[in-house]
Amino acid sequence: MQSTTQNEPIQILLADDDPDDRLFFKDAFEEIKIKTNVQTVNDGVQLMEYLTKEGVTLPQVLFLDLNMPRKTGMDCLKEIKRIDKLKDIAIAIYSTSSSEEDIEETFVSGANVYIKKPSDFNALKKILSEVVTTNLQYQTSGLNRDNFILNL
Amino acid sequence: MNLKAVFTSSFFLKNIFAVSLVVLIFISGVSYKHTINLTDSAELVKHSYEVRIELEHLVSCVFNAESGQRGYIVSHDTVYLHSLYKAREKVDQSFNRLVVLTGDNLKQQSNLDSLHSLIDLRFKYFDHTFKKANARPFNEAALRKSLLHGKKVMDLINVQINKMNILESVNLKERQQKYENEISFTPIFTLILFAFSLLVFIVSYFKINEDLIKLKNANEVLTITTESFKHAEAIGNFSSWQWDLESSILTYSDNQYRLLGCEPQSFKPSIKKFLEFVHPNDIHLIIEGNAEATNEYDANKKPSTSLFRVIRKDGELRYFKSIAKVLTNSRGKKTLIGINMDVTEQHLSNVSLEERNRALEQSNKELASFNHVASHDLQEPLRKIQTFISRIEDKEISSMSSTAKEYFARIHDAASRMRRLIDDLLLFSSATKTEKSFEKTDLNILFEHSKQELAQAIEDKNAIVESTPLPTLNVISFQIQQLFNNLIGNSLKYSKPNEAPMIQVTSEKVLAKDYPVLKTEPYKKYYKISFIDNGLGFEQEYAEKIFILFHRLHHVTEYKGTGIGLAICKKIVENHAGVITAEGFPGVGSVFTVFLPEQ
Repeated sequence: MQSTTQNEPIQILLADDDPDDRLFFKDAFEEIKIKTNVQTVNDGVQLMEYLTKEGVTLPQVLFLDLNMPRKTGMDCLKEIKRIDKLKDIAIAIYSTSSSEEDIEETFVSGANVYIKKPSDFNALKKILSEVVTTNLQYQTSGLNRDNFILNL
Repeated sequence: MNLKAVFTSSFFLKNIFAVSLVVLIFISGVSYKHTINLTDSAELVKHSYEVRIELEHLVSCVFNAESGQRGYIVSHDTVYLHSLYKAREKVDQSFNRLVVLTGDNLKQQSNLDSLHSLIDLRFKYFDHTFKKANARPFNEAALRKSLLHGKKVMDLINVQINKMNILESVNLKERQQKYENEISFTPIFTLILFAFSLLVFIVSYFKINEDLIKLKNANEVLTITTESFKHAEAIGNFSSWQWDLESSILTYSDNQYRLLGCEPQSFKPSIKKFLEFVHPNDIHLIIEGNAEATNEYDANKKPSTSLFRVIRKDGELRYFKSIAKVLTNSRGKKTLIGINMDVTEQHLSNVSLEERNRALEQSNKELASFNHVASHDLQEPLRKIQTFISRIEDKEISSMSSTAKEYFARIHDAASRMRRLIDDLLLFSSATKTEKSFEKTDLNILFEHSKQELAQAIEDKNAIVESTPLPTLNVISFQIQQLFNNLIGNSLKYSKPNEAPMIQVTSEKVLAKDYPVLKTEPYKKYYKISFIDNGLGFEQEYAEKIFILFHRLHHVTEYKGTGIGLAICKKIVENHAGVITAEGFPGVGSVFTVFLPEQ
């Protein structure tokens, strides 16, 4: 299931307005024994600026928080899916909320996986490593409502 | 009272009146003619007698002349001559009167002409006789002859007068005969008419009398109805009014005045006067309402209704509801009839009810937003706390003092407890949500799901969980699932520490009347589903309290309960129009019974 060669770090981007969550996220990837390059942005507006900047290295997996100021994760998701250059980025929704409406809407909008932020650091590490080691791009065809939510 | 009968009766009376009028005019005409005839007849008789008297008078004048002549011949005294000439004058006068009297009778006139000639002749013989009597020498034979001629003429005059008298008598008789013929049938005719009129009057009398009795009875009924209506108006706080649309005359019932705070009949009702009582901001409602009620009138149209404020004479503000409709009577006359009701109390209670409803809606919205707060805003900091706890536990716990370790373990427990509370509160608020979808669900499947979800706890405690066959019911399946989870979980949680839990779920169909708790419920048949365990049980006095939100029987440290689980159960059962009860037997076990309606 390893999608990249051992030498090439996996490009990962997190959009989350919460500094604690960004900290957990970075710490978790540092502890996971996978070569990754983790970038973070603080909100939706920053995210879109980052992604549309000239010459930027596009992430292979984008972790997207839904509840962000200025531009919500939902808005970003829809916008990304409209832009040809960006629409193939694997998107993992990374949210505190597990409301039915949010799950339904992000699924319909083309997100690849829905992660409910765990309250245990070890669980977080486990879930993140699972996501990056799964080649999400190739999983879209078999995607369905049941395995959309990633529960550990 | 039948309206049709009254109208029929009045029609009958009209006809009777017309017939009576015609009959009376006819009788008057006949009587008048009869009287005229009588007068005519009297006139005729009088006329005939006048003619006769005048004729007698004429004859007597001629006789006077004759006796004067005789006296003169015997005495040659001129006094006699004087009476003779006077007689001649009277004869002419009398003759003129006769000409006038017989003016209408040609035969009599010709007779009169003959008589005139004879009288002229007679007087010529008088002259002739005088000449013979005065002749010198006196010729006796000539005088005799002249006298004889005179006498003959006199006889002719008598004959002529007799003839005229007879003719006059015949005329009189003829006319009387004719008149008698004319009026002979009048009495019979009058009698018939009289009889007929009498009949008409008698029939009319009885008919009118009958109508009067009916009218009197109707009046009595009407009086009672009116009185009871007045009574009803006073009790029911309503009033009635009629507005004649042709004459614009407005009539109020007594209670209308009272509703306006006035003495009954204390003023003359008019629209203008009424509008003085209406709240200035609501006057347009009355005007529009009246226009709506009267315009484009359609017999099937619903009565127009309006709600408006009225300021009573004593200054109190009242709410009136007015219902009006146009009534058209049999003659096409239109009247707007209406009822005014003082609905102040209802209106105010409606308003406060609406306000309460709004407040309720508001609090429901707040509850929904609380749901969001609980699901997101409260969870987020807690999640972080727990994540930090897990990081410290992983990395730093070994370097902590034993006190710090103990405190830290307590922080860990408190955070976990808070997590359970939030999760349970979310479940509770989802059980409160109003949008629910009922669907046919096999409860056996839900029971199996519960066993799977609680598999770990069942295994840990070596518990036996079994059930008799359960029914298929129309339920909100995720809620009943929650109910099973909570009740079975509850039994597992409060099991005896040294005994394997035994949980039995049984089901049977029961009648509501057999169970006191179901007496006030609307359904007749219920499914009774019991959850029986051999756990700790509880004192029966807590049987109702345990369903109250946050109510707990044990210390937080003893059992990991939040005090929400059974409150959720109660909520779910109530959502299904059911009843949940609990029985506790301390040290023996407990029985939770759920009654769900069959439909």
